[in-house]
Amino acid sequence: MVELKTQGVTLAYGNKKVVEDITFQVMPGEIVGIVGPNGSGKSTIIKALSRIIAPHSGRVLINDRDISRIPRKELALLVGVVPQNPLLPSAFTAFDIVLMGRNPHLGLFQYEGPRDIEITWQAMKQTSTQDLAERRISELSGGEIQCVVIARVLAQETEAILLDEPTANLDISRQIEILDLIKGLCQKNKLAVAMALHDLNLAVHYCDRLLLINKGRVHTEGAPAEVITTQNLEEVYGSGNYIIAHPLSGLPVVLPRVGDSKNSGSHRR
Amino acid sequence: MALRQPKTPNVSLGAPTTPFSRWRRCIIAIIGLSILLGAMVPLATAIGSVHIPFLTTASIIFSRLPLVNIEPTWPSILETIILDIRLPRVILAGMVGAALSVAGATYQGLFRNPLADPYLIGVAQGAALGAVIGFLLPAGWGGFGFSVIPLFALIGALGAVSIVSVLARTGRMLSVTKLILAGVALGALLSAGVSYLIIMSGEKIHGIIFWLMGSFSLSQWSEVRITLPAIAVGVTIIMIYARSLNLIQLGEEQAQQLGVSVEKLKIVLLGAATLITAAAVSFVGIIGFLGIIIPHIVRLIWGPDYRFLLPLSVLAGGVFLIGADIAARTIMAPTEIPVGIFTAACGAPFFLYLLKRRTKILF
Repeated sequence: MVELKTQGVTLAYGNKKVVEDITFQVMPGEIVGIVGPNGSGKSTIIKALSRIIAPHSGRVLINDRDISRIPRKELALLVGVVPQNPLLPSAFTAFDIVLMGRNPHLGLFQYEGPRDIEITWQAMKQTSTQDLAERRISELSGGEIQCVVIARVLAQETEAILLDEPTANLDISRQIEILDLIKGLCQKNKLAVAMALHDLNLAVHYCDRLLLINKGRVHTEGAPAEVITTQNLEEVYGSGNYIIAHPLSGLPVVLPRVGDSKNSGSHRR
Repeated sequence: MALRQPKTPNVSLGAPTTPFSRWRRCIIAIIGLSILLGAMVPLATAIGSVHIPFLTTASIIFSRLPLVNIEPTWPSILETIILDIRLPRVILAGMVGAALSVAGATYQGLFRNPLADPYLIGVAQGAALGAVIGFLLPAGWGGFGFSVIPLFALIGALGAVSIVSVLARTGRMLSVTKLILAGVALGALLSAGVSYLIIMSGEKIHGIIFWLMGSFSLSQWSEVRITLPAIAVGVTIIMIYARSLNLIQLGEEQAQQLGVSVEKLKIVLLGAATLITAAAVSFVGIIGFLGIIIPHIVRLIWGPDYRFLLPLSVLAGGVFLIGADIAARTIMAPTEIPVGIFTAACGAPFFLYLLKRRTKILF
């Protein structure tokens, strides 16, 4: 089991600070949602958690080990990532891409064995991508590619999974299907899951805790119902959102108040 | 093939057969091309101004292999022609073809750029400048017992790549885009130097032009002995990292997230690809087109997986350049044509044919 932690992490591109003094943790068996407006630093936090960018100050810890001291290969056995809008080489087949998830498990002189093939195949079944196996990436839609990459992270068999907008390209039923899958695996295998999401309603229903980020700082952290409040959304996103209770779950649901943005002049009702 | 393929087990039983038919096809191709390459060597050695039957040639070559015992039934002059004149040339051609093809595939993979060739980051221009300087020095300069041209070409090639690599570094990171741009710019600068020296070279101009177009006419065992280890080491290193080359096609971030130490990989692969390119260029001059075309032909036929692309490129490159060299020395015999002319004249139409026939470009 793996526990992810950040301690006072500040992230910067050059001299421009994007994320400042972020402290949070993700426990095994828990999904933490990172929500916030465009450019608030969600993707940057995901990148820091997978050691793509090094913190300007502060530390990222896995089981209390500083991530910067963990070799790439070992890290890839602990943490798997589903990046936002992943670019994939068009000539490879979907199966090849999912099989690449096995890389950290293989030595330099090793080929994928039957077990790796089996795990890859299982991951494709779980994500309903097995019918795409022999199709080339260039023939797949954005949503299909998204599912292939999620299959890859499952084939990687890590104990922590980071997802950056995993549902961005998916239709409404695939969104639920994928998030149900992740939630189920998280609880069953006690995975630590951190996920950046735009869709607040999905975040509320699938995450155990939310981290509301505004301008690179944590605005509110806590249970979804405590974080998604009219006041918090007004402070972070501005006015124009309307919260009701979901008729079945009772959790907050955010509705946009149509025609209420700063650009809505002429067609405003 | 289709007839004797076993029935595919039911996929839903959970026994995936997915990649195996593709992998099997590639392995069969590797075996087939190995046999072809093995046959090409005696064939290419048999062809030449003195006609020697194929069987005699094969016997002479095989009699020199360990554990083979064939009683000589041929005049010793034939043995000299085969073993000391033709064989080193054929072997050098095979090695250089293999080296340039693998280097081209490596640069294309590392830079994720289908236009990359072994000379992209200044190796050729550096080697050319070194070689031209070598040509212009008075004969016997420095008191070396051998031609200084390969040595100068090697220094030029490695020097150019070193400069480009230093320029492309920011902190501990090596930027691939900067590497390409710096390589192109430095290459232009060095080419200007080469052109200037050619104009100034007087009666040595013929030798220089011939070298620049690439030729095996001066091949000897001594050259094979120097290039073989360099190319063998470089090709082996690159092949060890074949899976990492696949992963880097996902981009540097995803490759890192899947456990590839990208910065280390770049240095290792650039070093190995440069070593084999420099070793090839220094002894036989600039043979163009091969490094870009062979990997693409292999991709079009057998797919983009570097674990198969690299060995298939080695074999196809070797076969192709041995064949081109046969043409170069026989078509207008006794006059020799620079082999680089043939690699382009035969390779380009075949590649264009494949390009037209396939609906999708596989990169």
